Amino acid sequence: MQLTVAMLLDGVMRTLREAVLPAVGERFARGQLFAVLDVLQNLRDRVEPKAELAEVEAASATAALERAAQALPAPDGPELARALAEIPAGPPAARAAALRAILVRAYEMLDGLPDERGAAARSALAEHLAAQTMRDVAVLKPSLLEEISKG
Amino acid sequence: MDDATLRERLEEFLRGRLADAASVRVTGLERSTEGFSAETFTFDVDVARNGTVEKRAFVLKREPLAGLLEPYDLEPEFRVLHALSAHPLPSPPTPWLERDPAVLERSFYVMDRLPGDVPIPVAGPDGCGPFTEAERANLGVDVVDALAQLHTVDWRRLGLGFLGDPGPGRAAAARELERWEDRIRRSELPLDPALAEALGWLRGHLPATNDITLVHGDYRLGNFLVARNAAGARLSGILDWELVHLGDPLEDVAWCTSELWRGGTAFASGLMLPEEFVERWARATGREPDAARLHFYRVLAIVKMIAIMLTGLRAFRDGRTADLRMAIFDHQLPYLHLLLGMLRGWMGGA
Repeated sequence: MQLTVAMLLDGVMRTLREAVLPAVGERFARGQLFAVLDVLQNLRDRVEPKAELAEVEAASATAALERAAQALPAPDGPELARALAEIPAGPPAARAAALRAILVRAYEMLDGLPDERGAAARSALAEHLAAQTMRDVAVLKPSLLEEISKG
Repeated sequence: MDDATLRERLEEFLRGRLADAASVRVTGLERSTEGFSAETFTFDVDVARNGTVEKRAFVLKREPLAGLLEPYDLEPEFRVLHALSAHPLPSPPTPWLERDPAVLERSFYVMDRLPGDVPIPVAGPDGCGPFTEAERANLGVDVVDALAQLHTVDWRRLGLGFLGDPGPGRAAAARELERWEDRIRRSELPLDPALAEALGWLRGHLPATNDITLVHGDYRLGNFLVARNAAGARLSGILDWELVHLGDPLEDVAWCTSELWRGGTAFASGLMLPEEFVERWARATGREPDAARLHFYRVLAIVKMIAIMLTGLRAFRDGRTADLRMAIFDHQLPYLHLLLGMLRGWMGGA
């Protein structure tokens, strides 16, 4: 995800203040809207992303990158292995983000290799990408795009 | 600027452009909620001349402060729409562009409002798409034929060379890929591995063509104006020309038939099976729909959509927009990664 929870909540509060509040004329509804803002601004610094999701992602990415590192010839394979070893212990979301950056680096390496030399590494990474995409999609809720578009 | 001031200034602008009118009165000014890009207003105008009052309907598009296709420059699309105003294509006649910020704070252009409404690419409550079978039959043909017509526009004769002819070979594909990679870079957001994989493949598979046409760039369900009456549904307008350029016509075909715009159906832009769409377009234009080129542009279509979403997310992160619709893109990205996986073949490993 590209937005942190804090960024998202800041944006929700900005939208409520700038785009919704001016259009709400009824006193009770305005009061309720201010109550929502009050809740959100106090919630902002007390929530973090669900660790379990990031843990699963990090474990899957690590396994895929280890396999890719073994399959890739030098200097790429050792470089990947070093990058994996250097990931600092930290919150799961930060580790998952660091691993995503290494996956991107791995794809850059593969782009410079003939297909047959990168096939095993590519296959390892593909398995992770597919599984992670399914996990990401599985937590999404049905879209309200029609209502959002039509107002 | 509040709507009352906007209306006053608009009336003043129109009095200057309709100099032969005794009076000009703007009514029914409304901001559209549907667009994600340029700000769109609809309004009617009573134009009094020689003792009679003519009613006209217009749409105004103004550069937004932030948006999905920033940085904005309305002039190229205005020049294309203006040049096409007398062409049989159902593009809205577009008489006026104003760049002076003293008028409405930002550049804008005004075009005629064509009849119809704009169905959007979402599944209906019963799981069906936005059109009935009978509507699809007429509209599908209209949409493909209009695209074929667009791709036969003599852009040199219409003076549209300013859009920049990419030239022969791989230049058209390279330029489009660079255009969207550049937007991704400018978002300064971390690259997702699924996107990195697709970008690497696209760089290594640029297709060549010597067939350069006018390309709408956003030709798809959601940008079609559809007029429904007792006789059925017909295409009454092609909207949103912000991405117009010169390039490979298969780019439009791939975009319009992309999984992005199926509206919960198996149909390209909710209208007809993708292979039927491509076949009809090929017959209408006399062109060969090269499978490898089409596949390249299908992958690029998803990358382009991701780039657009990242641009919106950047604007949201920076606090340059209070439009929460931009934030929604963050949780829509996994769907696009899924589409990339299907097109690139790596979803088979799931």
